[in-house]
Amino acid sequence: MSFKEALESGKFVVTAEVGPPKGTDISEMLHHIDLLKGKIDAANVTDNQSAVMRINSLSVCKIAMDKGLEPILQMTCRDRNRIGLQSDLLGASILGIHNVLCMTGDHVSAGDHKEAKPVYDIESVQLLRIVDSLNRGKDMMGSDLKGSTKFFQGAVVTPEANPIEPQLMKFEKKVNAGANFFQTQAIYDIEKFRTFMAHARKFPVKVLAGFVVLKSSGMANFLNKFVPGINVPQDLIDELKAAGKEKALDTGLNITARHIKQLNEEKICDGVHIMAIGMEDKVPIIMERAGLL
Amino acid sequence: MIITKQKDPNSILETISKYKSFFLIGCSECASLCGTGNEDALKDMAGFLKSNGKEVTGMMVPKTGCQTLGTKIELKKDKDACEAADAIIVMSCGAGTQSATEIFKDKPVYPANDSLFLGNMTRFQMFDERCSLCGECIIGKTAGICPITNCPKGLLVGPCGGMSDGKCEVSPDTPCAWVRIYERQKALGNLEEMKEVIEPKDWSKGQKPGTLATRKDKKELTE
Repeated sequence: MSFKEALESGKFVVTAEVGPPKGTDISEMLHHIDLLKGKIDAANVTDNQSAVMRINSLSVCKIAMDKGLEPILQMTCRDRNRIGLQSDLLGASILGIHNVLCMTGDHVSAGDHKEAKPVYDIESVQLLRIVDSLNRGKDMMGSDLKGSTKFFQGAVVTPEANPIEPQLMKFEKKVNAGANFFQTQAIYDIEKFRTFMAHARKFPVKVLAGFVVLKSSGMANFLNKFVPGINVPQDLIDELKAAGKEKALDTGLNITARHIKQLNEEKICDGVHIMAIGMEDKVPIIMERAGLL
Repeated sequence: MIITKQKDPNSILETISKYKSFFLIGCSECASLCGTGNEDALKDMAGFLKSNGKEVTGMMVPKTGCQTLGTKIELKKDKDACEAADAIIVMSCGAGTQSATEIFKDKPVYPANDSLFLGNMTRFQMFDERCSLCGECIIGKTAGICPITNCPKGLLVGPCGGMSDGKCEVSPDTPCAWVRIYERQKALGNLEEMKEVIEPKDWSKGQKPGTLATRKDKKELTE
């Protein structure tokens, strides 16, 4: 069952991430792909994540697909203008990559090439519209394509953005622009997420809740301080602290598994997106503890 | 106005190293308000050059340096001083500097300033960028606030995921342009306008080099 079919069937889906490395030695990344395949429904392949230059998403999507792991092509608007984006989308399509996640992309100032010219010729909502247009056999200028694409397109949303209203307006714009599914920024407060989902459920889209495993109380404090839209509640920080250094990671895995289990059992959303950030080997453990394997 | 900042004086010295004598040109408009092209700035530069073994043959602050013809006329009174100089140093913006490039056909011209942006003076010699001269103004749709300029990504459809507590991901002290737009539209009772998805920008409207002639010739005026 493809990722799209899984979501449409009502199955509680799980996606994770494959992060292309900087350089041509991909042995570790291939190992991650092997760890994830057969267990998750699809893997996002990040696009120069955090504006740090690495192998492009498209090539790694092809490798993942050939190895039996269905890829979701992440596309940011930071590094390519409208010609480059459409061209890469057509290229992805002929390679058999049909899931795309449209995002604006972290600014170059966050990355390792701070002197680069940021592009942002178009942005996430407009990119979703472009994908929709390519699916209907036209480029964004309305010219006919010789053969259309068949993308299943997604977008991102930050359920705990502050203020939330402009974010919800953008969410609605993304829905109207053709987004089929959403993956969220990492969430840690299920009750707050439930409030967001009450709003999201008004729209015909699938929502996958984002997860970043907490390795320690220090990491939780760091996320709260420096990562936009992330709010780790104090009780979770206390739980990690109480676990002590030795057991903090295991406790973090338990917290993630517990939250995923609750989302699934109470049918709060349609699936989860686990951002392991180098701990891909922990994804199957989380799934097991959440009762998904 | 065009906001300028003087280059590191040592980098200027390095660039002009092969020349001995200079004529200095400022500007009484933007560069004077920025303190980079007024008479005092020119005098300071002359002092700096002299203390580094260079000669200054003269200096002049034209009324509007980017008005090429007017500047050329104003420079007539300094003809000898200009001719005596190996090179010209211009202490205005890039436009004023290139007026000099056009006026001095056979003399090298060097900029003393970096041109930063089109800015508003918020307080004395404090400047903020508000407009990017993009060629097609859209702020009628964005509560009079330009997201192309005020958002580092120039986003047209709303805040990005990097917005945090109303602040910008790129410069955490700066309010998010789209939160500002949202708040102003809300206060004006125009929140509906924010639901529109602004089309991708037509960058051909601001294609470089820009050129425009608004002068109506005599014949046209009398008709």
